[in-house]
Amino acid sequence: MNALGFAWRSLVRQPARAILGVLGVAAVGALLLDMLLLSQGLTVSMRDLLDRSGWDVRVSVGEIPGRGGRVPAASDTAARIAALPSVKATLIVRVANAQIESDGGPPIMATFEGVSGRSNRGAPITPPWTVLRGRDARSPNEVVIDVAIAKAANLDVGGMVTLRASCVSDLEALPPTRLQVTGIAEFPFAGTNEDGVGGSLDALKLACGGNVGDEADLLLATSTGDSRETAAAIRSVVPGLFAMTNDEVVGRLQQTGFTYFRQISTVLTTVTVSFAVLLISVLLTVSVNQRLGEIAALRALGFSRARVVKDVLSESALIVGLGGVISLPLGLLLASGLDRILKQMPGIPADLHFFVFEGTALAIHVGLLAATAIIAALYPMRIVSSLSIAATLRDEVIG
Amino acid sequence: MSGVIVDAQSVGRSFAMPAGPVHAVRDVTLQIRAGDHIAVRGPSGCGKSTLLHMVGCVDAPTSGTLLFDGQDVSRLSDARRSALRLRRIGFIFQRFFLLPMLTAAENVELPLSEAGASRRDRQQRTKALLEYVGLTARADHRPSQLSGGEMQRVAIARALANNPELLLADEPTGELDEATGAQIASLLDRVNADGTALVIVTHDSALADRSARVLMMRDGRIEREATR
Amino acid sequence: MTLRTLVFLLALAGSVARAQEASHDILISRQLATEQGLSVGSTVRLAVDANGTGARTYRVAGIYEPTPDPARLGAVPREVRMHLPDLLDVMRPPGVLAGTEYIANINVALIDPADATAFARDVNARMPGVVARPSSEAAGSAGPFRVLERFHLAIAIVTIVAATVFLLALSIMLVDERRETVGILRLIGLPARRVLVQVLIEGVIVASVGAAFGLVLAVLSEGLINAFFQWRYDTALVFVRITRDVALTSTAIAVPLGASATVLASWALLRRSGLRLARR
Repeated sequence: MNALGFAWRSLVRQPARAILGVLGVAAVGALLLDMLLLSQGLTVSMRDLLDRSGWDVRVSVGEIPGRGGRVPAASDTAARIAALPSVKATLIVRVANAQIESDGGPPIMATFEGVSGRSNRGAPITPPWTVLRGRDARSPNEVVIDVAIAKAANLDVGGMVTLRASCVSDLEALPPTRLQVTGIAEFPFAGTNEDGVGGSLDALKLACGGNVGDEADLLLATSTGDSRETAAAIRSVVPGLFAMTNDEVVGRLQQTGFTYFRQISTVLTTVTVSFAVLLISVLLTVSVNQRLGEIAALRALGFSRARVVKDVLSESALIVGLGGVISLPLGLLLASGLDRILKQMPGIPADLHFFVFEGTALAIHVGLLAATAIIAALYPMRIVSSLSIAATLRDEVIG
Repeated sequence: MSGVIVDAQSVGRSFAMPAGPVHAVRDVTLQIRAGDHIAVRGPSGCGKSTLLHMVGCVDAPTSGTLLFDGQDVSRLSDARRSALRLRRIGFIFQRFFLLPMLTAAENVELPLSEAGASRRDRQQRTKALLEYVGLTARADHRPSQLSGGEMQRVAIARALANNPELLLADEPTGELDEATGAQIASLLDRVNADGTALVIVTHDSALADRSARVLMMRDGRIEREATR
Repeated sequence: MTLRTLVFLLALAGSVARAQEASHDILISRQLATEQGLSVGSTVRLAVDANGTGARTYRVAGIYEPTPDPARLGAVPREVRMHLPDLLDVMRPPGVLAGTEYIANINVALIDPADATAFARDVNARMPGVVARPSSEAAGSAGPFRVLERFHLAIAIVTIVAATVFLLALSIMLVDERRETVGILRLIGLPARRVLVQVLIEGVIVASVGAAFGLVLAVLSEGLINAFFQWRYDTALVFVRITRDVALTSTAIAVPLGASATVLASWALLRRSGLRLARR
């Protein structure tokens, strides 16, 4: 019987403690997996979200796009950027608050994004939303709305939406504007509890009563080649603004908002692994101490030191291995629950996830569990390897 | 010195204790030949088990020399001593020490598996050994389902797995009643008659009287030897 | 008036004018001072845009340690504190009259903080367009820290579940070590309940000592974690705090869990007969 088979029989001999040990490892392993997913989850998810948007350079007044004021002389700035040979297309994005009238109910608060694009060489202009049904808004009296607004206001493609927008400050009280809904869309950068309306910049100006200066909250650009070269070229033509590639935006977010989650995941990973090592080590040590007589007898029968040590290591590997396998679905289930909790944070895009499954995280998880199995077994292995056969046999007789 | 399995010359074993060293075995000279049937008797604490452990290469002497088949045991590495015990020495204990999670057959198979025997050889040998000890019908039973006598018989079968030259028994009937003890004694006689040297440490005078040589120990020394 | 007196007076007027221009004092954050190599008495020019439009001169009157803001963790606080008129002056767009600016927030310190809710309600009723609320409610139910609190609670629950499972496994093993003793006690006539009571007492003692040790470990870890994060983010923010409530809650969970695990493990053992337990 090889060491693994022996270990299996040792575990099965005491099913209650074996099952509990495995379940304990599964719970701890699930938490460990989640912390590993969290450590890079936001970064991976944000990068994916930005890349999927179709724009690879963001131009803004502040270091974090969308914060720190508006880009002045937006049309001229966009034109200068679009004229660069490395730029395929540009998009001006202006954002306003909107209140949508619903039948008899309270107004629905929403964010109205107005966009105006310029394309070189026939490159597509991708708005910051995805049309699910109908078509995109083209003319100044057309908009797309998100699913939640459509449901709450009982609207569909072809219907008319009445909204009040404020482009300068919340102290404005403009008359309502009626716009035609041409499509139902998804707004990937909208928060979980935020509703979105999208249309042309002219539609936004119409809704704001024309009270919109030539400013943009954000300018987006697509590169013909390397986005870093494009960003550098943009910085040279508009030196007062921040032009950042998607990678740079993610890097900046990693240093600020995302940093807490990386740190907490590191701390919790360390605590979790230490916890697991300690508990598995105690389980194995107690188990070994209860079987010293048997082990001494096996040694007396001719089992080598290496063999009995391998038996202990195999037992540890079996507990951690079985627990590790169970920890995977458990961890993914837990991750989805924790993700749902964290996504309730205000301002988090609905399509952004804190926990993202990656092969690297899984590999690290497996590696850490393997290390846990080995480290946890070190002390009990030392006990069996330094066991005095004669003394133990004597002690067993005395009882 | 043909046929000499164990040659102990003035061996001693001391243990360091807080109150001072304890000399469990002192100056013992002994030879065990192939086919010998030896009983070691004496009061509790006289060093019988310690001597047995040294002869069985479980423990090393602190003085003197102990040769097993001409090899100085104290110079052998732990791995070599383990290999010696696995293939050439068999052990049975007062408390049987069967593995509770394995069946009788699996317990017997353990040393064969460790010695690298093929599956077919293991199964054949296990079957033969269980037949030898009269427990073919209990092959698939766990130790908790066996009586004391049956457990000791399984232990004997296990000890004989790799055909050792020397079988060492430490109080083999210590936890058995008289009748069962007599059965075990008969089985051990048979083992010896089939060629395996046997050294038994025992308080049981009936068991000791079956041996060809009886060594009386006191205070760590062999006080006298009687032959039959 | 002699020429020399006139020059002196002109020079004096000039220096007074310069002093008046540079007499607008500001405070800067420690981090900004370190980064820009500024000290008390340094003169800086501040403007609202990178082009330096409408820049004014200010004197650094002091360097302060910014109040740690958890919402801005990781961001280096390059902050300036100015008198409100100075801030309004520098930020006012051209063509906008002084006095037409607006501010975003007013912080109010009440004589009796317990009046906060009533005060806020009163302000809201008297001043339409103004939103007043007690500071404790500022975060709202979905505020980031409430969400983090729920996140940490979820992690704590998982940790407790894992610890409970392991605790049960260990209890079963430790109780099993004494099965022979328990079997003998049962054989000589002690009722199972008597044995369980003893086990419960032992369990409570061990769990209490364990909980106390755990608290000591938690306090030590609190210091280490706070020290690490405060160094990492160069902040005075406190990240972990073991309050009386936290200590009591932990103990209230740990002691019953520990005692119950031992009793449960023993109960499972005591269901077997004394003979079976006592048999080796």
